[in-house]
Amino acid sequence: MSAMNTSSIKIRTGNQMIAEGALFAGCQFFAGYPITPASGVYKSMIEQLPQRNGVAISAPDEISALAYCVGASGRGAKAMTATSGPGWALMIETVQYALMTELPVVIAMVQRLGPSTGGATQNGQADILFTEFCTSGAYTIPIFAPSTPQECFEVTTIAFKWAELLRTPVVILSDKEVGMMSEDVDFNQLKNTPPWYRKEFTPQNGRQHITYDFTDLEDVPLFAPVGGPNKVTMTGSAHDKKGTLQKNSSETLDVLIHLQKKIEARKEEMAVVRVDDQNDAETLVLSFGITARTAKEATRRARAEGKKVRNANVISLFPIPEKKLKEAAAGVKRIVVAEENMTGQYRSVIQALFSGKEIVGVNSIGKMITPAMIQNAIL
Amino acid sequence: METAVQQHTYKKENALFPFCKGCGHHHYVNHLDEALVKLNLDPNKVCIVSDIGCIGILDSLFATPHTFHTTHGRSTAFATGIELADGILNDSKLKTIVVIGDGGATIGLLHLVNAALMNVDVTVLLANNFLYGMTGGQHSQFSPLEFVTPTTPAGNIVPPMDICSIVKSCGATFVRQAAATDKQLGDVIAEAIAHPGFALVEILELCPEWALPFNKIDGKSINEKLHAENNMNAAAVRQDFTTLYKEKVLGSPKKMVDDTITPKYSSALNGTCRIVLAGTAGEKVQLASFLFMKSAISSTLHATQKNDNPVTQGSGFSLSEVCISSEEILYTGIDTPDVVIISSPEGLKEVTANGTLARCSSDTIVVAEQTLSEFDCAGKVSRLPLRALCTGSRAALSALASLNMIKGWVSQDALLEMIDGKFKEKSLLYHRDIEALIPFVKI
Repeated sequence: MSAMNTSSIKIRTGNQMIAEGALFAGCQFFAGYPITPASGVYKSMIEQLPQRNGVAISAPDEISALAYCVGASGRGAKAMTATSGPGWALMIETVQYALMTELPVVIAMVQRLGPSTGGATQNGQADILFTEFCTSGAYTIPIFAPSTPQECFEVTTIAFKWAELLRTPVVILSDKEVGMMSEDVDFNQLKNTPPWYRKEFTPQNGRQHITYDFTDLEDVPLFAPVGGPNKVTMTGSAHDKKGTLQKNSSETLDVLIHLQKKIEARKEEMAVVRVDDQNDAETLVLSFGITARTAKEATRRARAEGKKVRNANVISLFPIPEKKLKEAAAGVKRIVVAEENMTGQYRSVIQALFSGKEIVGVNSIGKMITPAMIQNAIL
Repeated sequence: METAVQQHTYKKENALFPFCKGCGHHHYVNHLDEALVKLNLDPNKVCIVSDIGCIGILDSLFATPHTFHTTHGRSTAFATGIELADGILNDSKLKTIVVIGDGGATIGLLHLVNAALMNVDVTVLLANNFLYGMTGGQHSQFSPLEFVTPTTPAGNIVPPMDICSIVKSCGATFVRQAAATDKQLGDVIAEAIAHPGFALVEILELCPEWALPFNKIDGKSINEKLHAENNMNAAAVRQDFTTLYKEKVLGSPKKMVDDTITPKYSSALNGTCRIVLAGTAGEKVQLASFLFMKSAISSTLHATQKNDNPVTQGSGFSLSEVCISSEEILYTGIDTPDVVIISSPEGLKEVTANGTLARCSSDTIVVAEQTLSEFDCAGKVSRLPLRALCTGSRAALSALASLNMIKGWVSQDALLEMIDGKFKEKSLLYHRDIEALIPFVKI
């Protein structure tokens, strides 16, 4: 049998494909704590990472899981953990620490029904704002949302790239339906972003390493690991470029501005919005995660009825891909935003982009949005 | 790692200590420096991981080692991550030293406990001054009985935590207790750092700002608190986590199972078929749908599967939804099922409760166990002696396989291949079930 004829189709869940994506991206360190519906990522990493000479360990709680990852990242390892809403609540302190210390880490956040322990095996897409706006100090956390197991692979490679490139925590915002559903995945058809490694400091002309050095505010400091030949001064407290604790020096304020600028400056480069266009579209159906699949089905059915519909699957939820969203909405009269939460979380943060257009939400809690619900909202 | 160049200090030259006059932290810093000098460690192979509170700002006094100033109580967890990445991924010998107070040890107790359990090669130097100094002298879980603080004005009525006993009970192999003023403390810290595996030194101190004004406490009473038994190792020396992980886990398993599916069969299915299987946990309902999904893919179709069960997993209902399609499956839910198979009372209860039965159309094929109670459903309901003929554990798969034999959704050859592959010699039972069920299904 020739290589061309060799099948590469396997049955995989979204969670398993996040693990596959992480391995492809060069993830070397994983720490996990059990939580439905994210445990599949943990199990897959435990099964596969040691074989590739990586570390996959069990933590006694979510706080430890992420702190282990951030510590490992400080030592130079590409690191990831996975959790769901209740675990994310515990991790926030450490997410902020990673952001402040500019240590890359990827967190797979597989949403379930909230609030509190909510419904462990029920779907939800209601942790969007909870995930994005969790930092005191109001910083952007890049968030990418996959809608299929295939996309879980690709999105994970994208998440690792931006975590490493920006030196900041990046979230893969999945959901129970995407994470736990099994599907045929053709490994030959997988898209990816090639592995990216954080840029390391190399001493030149006798220059000493400065932990948080940058020239322009949007620059990303060159990395040196703790334990390496260049002294590192990490701190989660307000600091100057050297990592010295300071309150109000202009350099410290620059560092605080830089943490946001480095992300904002690459906003359009990070944007991933997949548009299925139709000439003279009157309605744009916009969605993400599991609901993006339903939105595609609704679009297909509406077109079969002769309706003019454009479809957008938003993969990079944050930073908000403003340019791409505006382009997607060009010319339409109505924008339908479908998401499995009560209040239209994503709609609430993007509606300001679409002044003059009618914006309609299709929402649900505790059960999947159906194609019919979206079809009813299409002009 | 020892260095060839003799180090005289690791501190900053003329470092101004930020601590109050008389604070034990002065001694702590100097003893730590003494220990590093004694061991003559390469500064690049030392990482001081500091916590929050007065002791946490100690990192700024050190010039040459790496420093990692962390969040409240979490320092040991960050240090654990650093050590594992260093020892396992980099095969290096970084000395990771946690600098933490009694407040940090309280809020981050589990990190200490787990580091001791793992026997991770991290040294914890716990400065216990019995209170939260930086935030106004509030008492901590380490405060002695009758200790007076702004938050225990009548005297503390809760006994203090004994951290040495706690970590010993977790298998810590090096545990010491000493006063900050103890002249031997530098040697004790050096021994702790050199120790392979988890080491903890509890260093007792006095806070001149908050402890001394309100309590009759001095160096003598501190010494009385030192327990001789805390300076003995409770657990026998054992391998540290990094060494064990490299030995037992790294590189395993040697071989992964190849679960690639070859689409070598075909199917006449044009469109999508959405099937719900409902039964009882432990009766292979979800396995039935998995094998069906596998045979669909083997029949060059697309397929999705999702399962549901009560949170305890091994009891109550077991539900599985499988969609197979000649096209890419977009919507993964099942609004109107094409097929519903109900093999037990628990399954019936669930498809009634979750609305599956109510969503059936007159085209829906419903195959139900004969002995189930009456139920309302718009579908074409057949009641079969599933449990009598196939037993509960084969009911779902045998019912689905016999229906498929008639309907041809997936290649029956593919399905039988999956059944044979999974159940080996026991697959004959399924073949017999299918034969027995076919006459009923035809009706």
